[in-house]
Amino acid sequence: MSERSDLDREFSRRSVILGIGGLSLFGVFGARLHHLQVKKGADYRTLSENNQFNFQIVVPDRGRILDRNGKPLATNRLDYRVVMIPERVEDIDLTLAQIGRHVTISEAQTARIKRDIKRNRSFTPILIEDHLSWEQFAALNLDLPELPGVIPQSGQTRQYPASGEFSHLIGYVGKPGQAALDEDKSPLLRQPTFQIGKTGVEANEDKRLRGSSGRLKVEVNALGRVVREFPSDSDAAKTGEDVSLTIDAKLQSETAKAFGDESGGAVVMDVITGELRVLLSMPTFDANLFVSGLTQADMDKMNSDEKRPQFNKVIGGGYPPASTLKMVVAMAGLEAGLIAPQETIMCTGKTDLGRRTFHCWKRRGHGQMNLHEAIKNSCDTYFYKMIERIGIDRVKSMGLRMGLGQVFDIGISGQTPGLLPDDAWKRARLNDAWRTGDSYNASIGQGFVLATPLQLAVMAARIANGSQAVTPHIVIGEDAPNFAQLDVNLDHLKIVQHAMFGVCEEPGGTAYKPGALGFDGVQMAGKTGTGQVRGISAAERAVRVRRNEELPWKYRDHSIFVGYAPYDNPRFAASCLVEHGGSGARKAAEMVRGMLRGALASDGFAQRSDDAAPEKL
Amino acid sequence: MVMQIASSRRGGGLGAKLFEIDWLLPMLIFVIGLIGVAMIYSSTKGVWGAGATQHLTRLFIGSVLMIIIAVTDFRLWFGLAYPAYLAALLLLVLVEFFGVSVNGSQRWLNLYVTRIQPSEIMKLAVVLALARYYHDLPDWRVSKPLGIIGALIIIMLPAALVLRQPDLGTTLLIIAPGLIILFLAGVKWRIIGTGFVAAAIAVPLFYRFGLKDYQRERIWTFLDPSRDPSGAGYHITQSKIALGSGGVNGKGFMNGTQANLDYVPENRTDFIFTVIGEQFGLLGGIGIMALYLGVGVLCMSIALRVKNVFSKLMIAGITATFMLYVYINLAMVMGLAPVVGVPLPLISYGGTVMLVVLAGFGLILSAHVHRESDLPRGAGLLL
Repeated sequence: MSERSDLDREFSRRSVILGIGGLSLFGVFGARLHHLQVKKGADYRTLSENNQFNFQIVVPDRGRILDRNGKPLATNRLDYRVVMIPERVEDIDLTLAQIGRHVTISEAQTARIKRDIKRNRSFTPILIEDHLSWEQFAALNLDLPELPGVIPQSGQTRQYPASGEFSHLIGYVGKPGQAALDEDKSPLLRQPTFQIGKTGVEANEDKRLRGSSGRLKVEVNALGRVVREFPSDSDAAKTGEDVSLTIDAKLQSETAKAFGDESGGAVVMDVITGELRVLLSMPTFDANLFVSGLTQADMDKMNSDEKRPQFNKVIGGGYPPASTLKMVVAMAGLEAGLIAPQETIMCTGKTDLGRRTFHCWKRRGHGQMNLHEAIKNSCDTYFYKMIERIGIDRVKSMGLRMGLGQVFDIGISGQTPGLLPDDAWKRARLNDAWRTGDSYNASIGQGFVLATPLQLAVMAARIANGSQAVTPHIVIGEDAPNFAQLDVNLDHLKIVQHAMFGVCEEPGGTAYKPGALGFDGVQMAGKTGTGQVRGISAAERAVRVRRNEELPWKYRDHSIFVGYAPYDNPRFAASCLVEHGGSGARKAAEMVRGMLRGALASDGFAQRSDDAAPEKL
Repeated sequence: MVMQIASSRRGGGLGAKLFEIDWLLPMLIFVIGLIGVAMIYSSTKGVWGAGATQHLTRLFIGSVLMIIIAVTDFRLWFGLAYPAYLAALLLLVLVEFFGVSVNGSQRWLNLYVTRIQPSEIMKLAVVLALARYYHDLPDWRVSKPLGIIGALIIIMLPAALVLRQPDLGTTLLIIAPGLIILFLAGVKWRIIGTGFVAAAIAVPLFYRFGLKDYQRERIWTFLDPSRDPSGAGYHITQSKIALGSGGVNGKGFMNGTQANLDYVPENRTDFIFTVIGEQFGLLGGIGIMALYLGVGVLCMSIALRVKNVFSKLMIAGITATFMLYVYINLAMVMGLAPVVGVPLPLISYGGTVMLVVLAGFGLILSAHVHRESDLPRGAGLLL
């Protein structure tokens, strides 16, 4: 019994010990709570708010691109898409499979999504699929409770006219590439819905079009789902600026229609301001395909087309300017005092140089030719003779002043400078001296000489303007253009202008069609060019030079024409190059006439009364 | 006079027994349970059906059960000590073979009607068996090797089975109260000291060979939460943010952002203290701890007043189990201990724990109501 009472006493004693232990444990917990909630309370409150509140980046609407009359060429339309935040998704594959019940996700896309997940930080939303239909979007929204981390969004996407005649010019938008991401660390670029200009005006004016991002304060739960929005604590996104172009959309569309299935480029340029009314490369493509994601089939089709729709020929294609270069040669000769305007040269149809024979396009020859007649008839023999006096260096100097052999700051990239060759170039490039035969070829714009349709239009504009070295541009800016003086003798220019007038308006001119523009008292000046793309062998020449129609498309001549109107008070210059379109007098001359007619009409020139008002007859 | 009152008690009319119940304790328990209902309601963003209603129902049923146990003749419970232990042991063995796996550990036994967790029942059964063991053990044998080994067998048999499930938290809650009973039974200090030394040697070995990878990982994550900020460490970090952001006064009822926005996982069950701390701050947290302390003190005061060994040790064991739940849970939630998956009793959502805890308090109350009844010594065991 004594042992029992000892043990009972021990029980009480030890209970007290445990009680003290238990009490001090509560003391420890109290101290811990005090530490967490009072000492560090402010820190944890901040952390809790960081958990709770988030600023979402609001992607601004992209500015529109408009033509000179305010017609929209690049606009935004509503687009539905679905994104996911990887860190909130438990099982990526499972989630994608669940989304796949409503939206087909190809294997390539799955690979792209996984790559995006790897490349981005885990809280960055990753685009799963865009351009969803409303039905798909609605079905996804219904399934949301089972899809943590998946967020359907509606937003803006870019839309272009489907016909595509502005695609080269305006370009298109797409997800920012690695280079853009490296250059600009802004989180805006990392938004799944953000699109950046990739080519054309979209790329060059991207900073203006982009606008600035807004912030939306939101309350999110642990799954990343937005529980509440606080619009009053948010900054709205600033819509990008609209960019207005000098382009006349109506004229550009008509020009594209007139091109038909042909390939090439066309330009209409204001000879006073340098504004481009038309800048067209044909054939073209639907830029919307690039925005929505090009399929391999689309890509293959484009790449296999021998007319190369993706290639912006009007600024990027270097072609032999052919006879349209003759004005430059003539100006160079006149400036050096080596051509007397009335001096005549006998054209027999061919000229011998050493063992080689150079032919005029007219086999039987033109007979006696002075400068005016030589340009009007496009006599090659005359220019063979003259280049021997003038030399290639003077031609190059004049060509540069006329706008050849250089690129212009027009507001889109992809220009080629073309080529004004000389001795130094040939030695560097071909390791061979410049020979007289090279000059012969160059004198008629063949051989090594290359120019783009844009440069030819600039040349025509400078000839027409006479006093200023106008340069082209397509974006309407704030500054009035300030051009350099055109450093040529005006008297010489008058002679060349008159010869170009002869081409179009005097009987015998290579593009003779008097009064064809259809305006009262409006006459035009121009010059044909027929760019050879193949050598004609002596053997073929001996039998018969094959007509273009007999040749495969890619061996036919390029049809080239430059011109301006009105002759007496120039407003617009135009150029057109139709790849393998035959002689310059045909397709290209018709195109230029049509473009000039359209440009003048839109500028207030009245159609001739007998055309416009038949009742007067 | 005294005899008369005693005899009337022994006479045991139901009304008299109800009158004998120490009502302060069940009322305190009920208040804690109601706080649990409110906190579950809050943690489920104000949806009654998502746990709060069930919790309230269980609280009522459990309380009725507690009172029934309290007024039932204590000798019944005394007699059931060993059979209950053996039955629980059998259930644990059944779990080993037929148990249902949840989250990778096999803890549940499917009884077709309902699923039970035998390890929870075992917590109570071990206490009963140990108390009975010491009740029957001759006093001189308490510190003798045979006496100690017998007690250790009673503790370690179920502990080993539960550890195999694996369930570290419950294992702790079987072993620790068992050792506390050993301690309170009067085992000599010298032997206890030896035990501690042995434990100091055994624990590292246990860590190396006795734990699963995920259990080791939990311990490491506890020591350095930045190891896995979105996984296991996420619990601890978010839990501390929830508590800390509560400040002194808290954000107010239903205004907890951490819990309401699902940042704290398991906030309805094991991490429910974060809901209290976030919404009611330091004052609320200390208030809850005071309530638990009150329960502990009331129970132990009963233990000191009852006469027989079985009652004393049983009450101490049940109280120790209950308080250990509280201590381990609070330490875990406050980032002082690894995440071991021990609920906050009476407040955390969960049926088995609620019923077992309330049944335990029923036993304590019963021991108090029948404190004068005679319990024969030495009849229960061969020793």
